[in-house]
Amino acid sequence: MRSLSKFLILVSIFSTLSLFSYSQFNGTNLMEYQYGKVPGDTNAISTLYDRTVFNYNYKDIKAGLALEQFYTRYDNRNYIKPTQYYLQYSKDFMDIKAGNFYETIGRGLLLRSFEIPGAILEDLSYRSRSYFQRDVIGVSTRLRYKDLSVKLLYGKPLNNVFPPSQPDSLRRTDKIAAVAPEYTFAKQTLGASLLNLKNSNKSTLYGMFTSSGIISQYFSYYSELAKDLSNYSLSDFSDKAAYAMYASINLSINNLGVSAEYKSYKNFSLGAGINEPPALVKEHSYKVLNRSTHVLQPINESGYQIEAFYTFADLSTLTLNNTIAVNNLNDKFVFQEYFAEYDFSIKDNLDAKIFADYAEDPFKLEMNRISTGAYLKLGIPDGSSIKTDYEFQTFHRSGDKVYNHVLSLGYNHKSKLLFNITGEISNDPFLVEEEVKTWIGTNIKYQINSKHSLLLFAGQRRGGPACNAGVCYEVLDFNGIEVRITSRF
Amino acid sequence: MKRITGLLVLNFIFYALNAQTVNNFQLKDINNSSRSFTELKGEKLTLIDFWATWCKPCNKAIPELNKIYQQYIEKGVQIIGINCDGPRSISKVAPFTKSLQIKYPVLLDINSEVMNNLNISAFPTLIIVNSRGKIVWIHEGYAEGDNLRITAEIDKYLSTN
Repeated sequence: MRSLSKFLILVSIFSTLSLFSYSQFNGTNLMEYQYGKVPGDTNAISTLYDRTVFNYNYKDIKAGLALEQFYTRYDNRNYIKPTQYYLQYSKDFMDIKAGNFYETIGRGLLLRSFEIPGAILEDLSYRSRSYFQRDVIGVSTRLRYKDLSVKLLYGKPLNNVFPPSQPDSLRRTDKIAAVAPEYTFAKQTLGASLLNLKNSNKSTLYGMFTSSGIISQYFSYYSELAKDLSNYSLSDFSDKAAYAMYASINLSINNLGVSAEYKSYKNFSLGAGINEPPALVKEHSYKVLNRSTHVLQPINESGYQIEAFYTFADLSTLTLNNTIAVNNLNDKFVFQEYFAEYDFSIKDNLDAKIFADYAEDPFKLEMNRISTGAYLKLGIPDGSSIKTDYEFQTFHRSGDKVYNHVLSLGYNHKSKLLFNITGEISNDPFLVEEEVKTWIGTNIKYQINSKHSLLLFAGQRRGGPACNAGVCYEVLDFNGIEVRITSRF
Repeated sequence: MKRITGLLVLNFIFYALNAQTVNNFQLKDINNSSRSFTELKGEKLTLIDFWATWCKPCNKAIPELNKIYQQYIEKGVQIIGINCDGPRSISKVAPFTKSLQIKYPVLLDINSEVMNNLNISAFPTLIIVNSRGKIVWIHEGYAEGDNLRITAEIDKYLSTN
């Protein structure tokens, strides 16, 4: 409580300063209260999570602080901690940031740090909740001169498997130093990066070459190749070597767009997981497909993804996707997926979407997986709409025929009020002790004004892998009520 | 209970604080050229749409923003699309943008730098920035009828700008 008082005093000082000068003070707050049970709980418990972010600007200088706090009846899970802070100086030719920062080198082959806006992470081991962020603490600099830019960074990446209640010596075990220059000419960009990774085991130098650009008004490309330079020769691309190769080609002709990507990753999981090579697996918004995603294995994975979009004159869109991912581990696993979606309007006030998906995922033992569904939205003249969607999935796993159904009904009044009820049924033996299991949950979102929103969930929520903003993580089953208030100021 | 009350108070006392401004930023566009906010901003108002290819409401909003762009560009109103796809889906942005025939500039914020600087936490988020760089309106999500609300806000701020 003393920390919170100090924090409020600091906030008051900054906000007062901002009222009397050209400086600016702003931020956000996310508060979530839960009362309920996750797997393993015998009784329902109350938890309270809060994250406040403050930013202060004065001319070219910016400072920021994020305070996270979590409370339950169990003291060992609770914490109140400033989890991020930074000081930044920006000019046209340079940015320098000291403290916590996010940085990605290339497409994430060497380094990817990021946050998932609004996502709160909880796992069964620590039972503490924290914001989904994987940042680096240290110093990051970006210099720009005409068509040349150089990133320099030094710091310790966060392993967010461990919540803020755990010591930094456990959460930040890797130390990195990197330089990444890039030169752009005639719509082509060439880059070369070096990253040194140190931890208690060893010190390793990685190098990466990047090339991207526009070939014509119809074609563009991107490619990068990263290698462990400490332990393998430049020409060694054997199965024992550590390297990652990624390439994409894009084609655009009138209303047709095509993206084709290729990957080949061998022994390329760096440190405690500081990098994240592109997965090349479609991130679906449909519930049954979103949780059935193939999880990238950077130790050994190769494959491709092709996606085509076509927008018709009436603005209906057709999306086709094909993905192949091959893992040569002790056995060979070939993941393959074929997806089609058509998004169209039946009448002026009636929108529809249909999808079909076929996949084989031997790594997860899910064979002959068929998923399909439809979505309808009826617009009402007062600005309201009624939505319904139904999704179905079936697959074979070790002699069992598994099925999943999702049915959702919703009403929204403009963007002000949203009400949604979702029911799920599954006979998946991995989840269900009885013959079938059902989950029924209700969401209500009320946008109080442009600065404040209220989100209420009541009922049961099915857990499992969830993919959001290109990142997949595990969400726990939940049975209870949840209230979330988000504010910006 | 004291903690909950304290945090609720903290949530609502921020009403009185001043609005945010957009500082200049520089990002690459889908044609691999570096573009800055100063270079692209509208003479009177600038609408910035934060979106991602995997976000379905974002995709619904884009054709409407295209219409708004054509309706208001001559009146000193610019639209900038800031795409926040990460490495997993960024290769789809250029073909997707061209397939939807987006008329206004689309910039790539692969590190979510601009998004984080402006405390954006939902997709789509649309902000209206006045000629002094101040954020005068912010709107999260996209639903039926929001296009009318957006044009009403543009008209309102055009008349006061």
